[in-house]
Amino acid sequence: MMTTGQLAATAGIVGLFLGFTGISNAQNVPVGSATNAIGTLTIVRTDGVEQRLQGKGNVPLYEGDALKTDGNSQALIEFKEGIQVALNESTSFKLLSRWEQDKPTTRILRLKQGEVWAKTSGGPKLFEVETPVATAAVKETEFNLKVQDDGQSILTVIEGVVSFGTPFGTCPIRTDTISYGVRGKKCTKPAETDAKAARSWTDALRMPGK
Amino acid sequence: MNVLPRSLTLAASLIVGLSGCADRPDWLQPINYEPPPLPPRIYVANESTNDVSVIDATTFQPVGTIATKNHSTHDLAISRDGRRLYATNLASGRISVIDTRKLETIASIYTGERCHVVALTNDNNQLWVANIGENTISIIDTTTFRILGTIPVGKGPTGLAFSHDGRFAYVSSQGDKSVGVIDTSTHQVVKTIPVGANPHFLVVSRDGHVWGVNTGENDVYVLDPETHEKVGTFVVGDKPQQIAFGYKGTQGPLAYVTVGSQNKVVGLGGDPKNLKIVDEIAVGEGPNGIWSNPEGTRLFVAHDKGNEIRVIDTGTGQTLATVPVGRKPIRVVVSR
Repeated sequence: MMTTGQLAATAGIVGLFLGFTGISNAQNVPVGSATNAIGTLTIVRTDGVEQRLQGKGNVPLYEGDALKTDGNSQALIEFKEGIQVALNESTSFKLLSRWEQDKPTTRILRLKQGEVWAKTSGGPKLFEVETPVATAAVKETEFNLKVQDDGQSILTVIEGVVSFGTPFGTCPIRTDTISYGVRGKKCTKPAETDAKAARSWTDALRMPGK
Repeated sequence: MNVLPRSLTLAASLIVGLSGCADRPDWLQPINYEPPPLPPRIYVANESTNDVSVIDATTFQPVGTIATKNHSTHDLAISRDGRRLYATNLASGRISVIDTRKLETIASIYTGERCHVVALTNDNNQLWVANIGENTISIIDTTTFRILGTIPVGKGPTGLAFSHDGRFAYVSSQGDKSVGVIDTSTHQVVKTIPVGANPHFLVVSRDGHVWGVNTGENDVYVLDPETHEKVGTFVVGDKPQQIAFGYKGTQGPLAYVTVGSQNKVVGLGGDPKNLKIVDEIAVGEGPNGIWSNPEGTRLFVAHDKGNEIRVIDTGTGQTLATVPVGRKPIRVVVSR
């Protein structure tokens, strides 16, 4: 067991290291891993090199990677911070981050198309999903976000609170509600919904034995 | 230090704690301490040293250098209060957020491939960033640093400016040889104006006209802010770069254009439909970025070959100061 002093010292060293390295977009440190794919998950590295996951595995993921599934594939990835993300069919996003002084790195998914489910665990996280028209920012939550071809983004919050923002305003979306983000408008007023149904497509990925 | 003495704050806190919060006397109310404003400063983006040079705009003495923590620092935007500076970084695709009081980069935000130019909305609440590699504008909340959305625009967006009333954003696109007009209330491109080959830098003059340079046609053009039509054009020479507005004595405002290949700044005046050269100022090697003081009597010119800033008196055309900066300075902005 570490004493309080040891913990503080460790935190200081970690902080010093983070401060020294500055921006956490190093492309040689994995930010997470792809752990399961039904069909094929394609990972495109920043230099254009591709790697694929079929079935269970542990493919490291790096800052800047682009991940995509085709029309017959789904996949599950996990970030080091304790964030699980499932990709539905025909989904693609890029792994990004935001660095801010004196703060932990904010993990960001830039969702270009398709649908993702995300769940954080083990305390508050800094996690955001960007779509062409809106951004969902969370700390402790479980949610589903779908982007349509025209960019319209549909957020369903299964548990917790998501800050859902467009350039025209930000609104808190709470458990068992749904909101829509459209270009040129504020996100819609949250409406009640059966949020748990929104994650049913992830069951086979998250609980393959069932 | 711009803070209250710690002992005084502590004593006040103790008294507040003992007396409770209900009937707090006026003299114990929280003090909203505003630090004094920073003096005007010149900020220069150095593309090959990945940093920003800071120069006192009154004494022209160097103040420091800020590492952007990114690569290929290119364009700059300064907040109206001078507290925040935003820098694009072409190679990183990221915006560096700089605290100008601390002279430190405090955040790094990925916007898109080859993020090139940046502009603050008139209320400074949003930062718009043009990404050449993705043909998009990214919109950043300047409080949370979150990307709130993207707007698809023409090919190779390289210039970005807002109308005085904030209703429109203008985006020049090299690949489309045009300027797109975005309605800021809907984020839709409502008009596309053909302007010429390789349009690049864009700026709005004090009377609201939109000025741009075409690096492919060696000219500048002027757009009417009401009709959104091209109303004037003028050939200034090979490699026109950027534009700032100032006065030469009683004449002006003139549009001062840096002409990269000719090592000079050309001052254009007259009606936008009938522009003429009113002033020509010889400068150093590779003039690129240019900015003027609020009075329009000084020009600050960045030289991307000479690696220096020159401060020029528009009344006489004389160089008042030459300040070395980092390698390949591209953009210069000056706080108020």
